[in-house]
Order: sequence, then C-alpha cells, then structure tokens
Amino acid sequence: MNNRPYIIATGLVLLLAIVFFNLSPDSSARLKRVLASFHIPLFSAQKTVEATGEILVDQTAPRKVLLQEIHELKRQNQILELRLGQTQSLERENRSLREQLELRPKPEWNPRLTRIVGRDPANWWRSVLIDLGTKAGVRVDMPVMSSQGLVGRVQEVHDHRSRVALLGDPACRISVTIEATGESGIISASGGTVFDPTLVKLLYLPANSEARAGDQLYTSGLGEIFPRGIPVGKLTAVTAAPGALTTQASVKLAVNSSKLNEVWVLMP
Amino acid sequence: MKGFFTLTILLTALTSIYAASAWHLPRQLTGAQLDPLPALMLVVALRAPISAVTALAIGGSLLQSALSSGPVGASLVPLYALGLVVHLNAHSLSQYHIGPRFALGAIAGGVVPALTLGLLVLSGHEPLVGWFTLWQWSVGILGSGIFAVLFFPLLEWLDQSVEEQPLAAPYDTTTRIVRGTRFHG
Repeated sequence: MNNRPYIIATGLVLLLAIVFFNLSPDSSARLKRVLASFHIPLFSAQKTVEATGEILVDQTAPRKVLLQEIHELKRQNQILELRLGQTQSLERENRSLREQLELRPKPEWNPRLTRIVGRDPANWWRSVLIDLGTKAGVRVDMPVMSSQGLVGRVQEVHDHRSRVALLGDPACRISVTIEATGESGIISASGGTVFDPTLVKLLYLPANSEARAGDQLYTSGLGEIFPRGIPVGKLTAVTAAPGALTTQASVKLAVNSSKLNEVWVLMP
Repeated sequence: MKGFFTLTILLTALTSIYAASAWHLPRQLTGAQLDPLPALMLVVALRAPISAVTALAIGGSLLQSALSSGPVGASLVPLYALGLVVHLNAHSLSQYHIGPRFALGAIAGGVVPALTLGLLVLSGHEPLVGWFTLWQWSVGILGSGIFAVLFFPLLEWLDQSVEEQPLAAPYDTTTRIVRGTRFHG
C-alpha cells in the first residue's frame, strides 16, 4: 500500500488543527464570517420557503377563524392601550422626578422583533442565530429578550445575521440583582445544570446572603450593557457553604430558550 | 470525476449541517442537537478515497464552526480520525445491510462527540457538560445511526450520477459469432 497520501493528509489535518486552535478571537470571528457566507444561499432558501408557507397558510385560513382572531386582537388592543396610557403617565412622572433629583435620564430602548433561524450545532454551547445583522443596526452586546424576560446577548454580528449567546452559555455572564434583598451576583453556566436548559447558577452572592428560594431576579444594569430591571428568573435553591466567602444559588430562568422562535433585540 | 464526487460530498455536508441547525423540532423534542457529520464521514470513508475523507473533515468541521459559538475546526481531528480508521479497515467492515449500517453510524455518532469534547476540555475551553450530556450523547448515537442508513443510498446515487459511464457499444456485445464446418466447409 502506498502510504504517502495518508501521511500527507494526516499532516495537513494536524497542521490545520494546530492553526485553528491557536487563532486569536478576532481572526476566529473573521474566519467564521467568511465561512458563514457559504450558508447564505441556504439561509435565503429557508426564508423563501417559510415566507411561501406563511402566504399559503394565510390564504387558506377560514374566514370564521380570521374574524375570531380579529375580534380577540381588538379586545387585547383595547386593554393594552389602557395600560399604555397608565405607563406613559408613570413615565412622565418618573422623568419629572429624575429631573428634580438631577439624575441622568434613562436611555430609551427600541425593541426590534426577529426570528430565530438556527441553533448551535453542538450540544455544549447555547447560542442561536437570528435573521438581523449589521445592516439592520445590530451590534455586539445588544440585549436580546422575549416577552417573559432576558434571553441573552448578541455575540457575533454578520451582515444579515447575528449569533446570540443565550443565558447559561459561558459567553453570556451577566450581573443580576435579587429583588427582595438587593444583593447582586453573576449568572453563570454550570455543568450540573445542563439537565434543564432553564437552570443556571448564580455566583458571588454575599456569604451571609438573605436570599431565599422563590426570590425574583432582574438585570442589575451594572456594566451598562443590559438595561436595569429586565426579568431574568427566580431562585430555586440557595447553597451557603460553611466558611466560604460567597454563596451560590440555583436559578430557574424566566425564558425557556429552547422553545423560542422569535425574540426582541433591544437597540438604543 | 472523483473531484466532482468530492464536491457533491461537501455540498451534502453543507446542506445537512444547515438543515440540522435550522430544523428545531428534534432539539425541542429531545433536548439534543443531531450531528449528521459523523455518519456522512463513515459513508465517505467506506466509499471514497482518502482525499475525499480529508476534504470532508476539513470542510465539514469548518462549515459547522460557522454556525457554532465554539472554536473553529473543533471537530476536525475527531472527524478525520474516524474517517482514517474506517477507510483503512473498509474491507473488513460489513456495509451492505441496514443493521450493520445503523450500527456503524451509531458508533461513529458516539466516537466523534466524545473525542471533540475531550479536545475542547484539553484545549482549555469550557463546554457545558453535565449528566444531561449522557442523554444528548445517546440521542446523538441514535440519530447518527439513522443518518448513516439514509446517507448510504444517497451517496451511492450521487456516486453513480457523477461517475463516468462507459460508452455503449453500437452492437449487441453478448452475441457470439460461431464459425463451424457446416457453413465454411
């Protein structure tokens, strides 16, 4: 048997593996952007198929069902308009009080709805692809949320797509505040929590933490990446190790990201 | 023509990687992501030359990395190792029935993620690993077995489609001309 092709192939693979594993984060991101361009035709085909499917469903929906939906939406719209009026009144009051106290005005966020078009092909990372990119104004570190709470942050941005690191992924560690006690900690991934995608760890709580299971968690606003007050989840257990400098807790996230199809990107 | 076959293998890899990422149902039902590459590598290693195995290991792992938040080419060495071992032992592996095809695909689906995970941990990354990883690994093994059963006929068809066909003879090649004493005296 001629061994030469096998030696050349093995050498090439090992060389490339060494190069890839030693790429800087910037080079790695650039290479991924180039490689992602191979998926663009399939991405476009998927969008076309989904759009065609939606048109077909819209055209075949019975009139009775559509009328019921319109009726229900009108009712919901009235309730939401009432709540919007109340919220606007509170917002005006809040702004006025902040001006009187000479506090810096809170930045306003412009939420933009987007669809999840792909999930990480590996089981050991938690990320999704959304169909908005730099062309739509998406930037790295923008918060991503659903109606239930925080989903994650934008990790990589391409022209028409972006990767979102979900809460629980090593690339998405955020600072949160416990509503009941005001204590802050860091949401972090943990090997023992992979059983349930909505379970994560809360680290660096004070050693004498007064937090209890059931307490609600919100983004702390520290670091100024995420706005303050976005619901994150609730505590399920608090583990205070004797003699330890910090306390750990288990958190059930407000959003089950594995069941999401659409998310909101918060743009400034 | 073998170069064209390698190109069709890479296109199959591209399509199957994208489909596995874009089709959410298996993940929503099982909590595990299916990976078509180990099964594809198995079939390619049994049917194609080492150049195609190398091309699939490099191309497949890079295309997969483009959709993942993990490091670039994380599955390159595991895929190539699987392909090389299968290719060198192709003559001793049974591959003509559904049972052995499923079993080989399942083994491939078990080996590649385990090696990839080992490499990630050794290279200082922090993959999410826990007890549920065993369940995801089991689902991956089952899925890879099914992928292998599907990929065998697909690649056979692709190979036949792009293979150079022999030109048909202008006469019936099965006709034998028999000369005997009766006619030629």
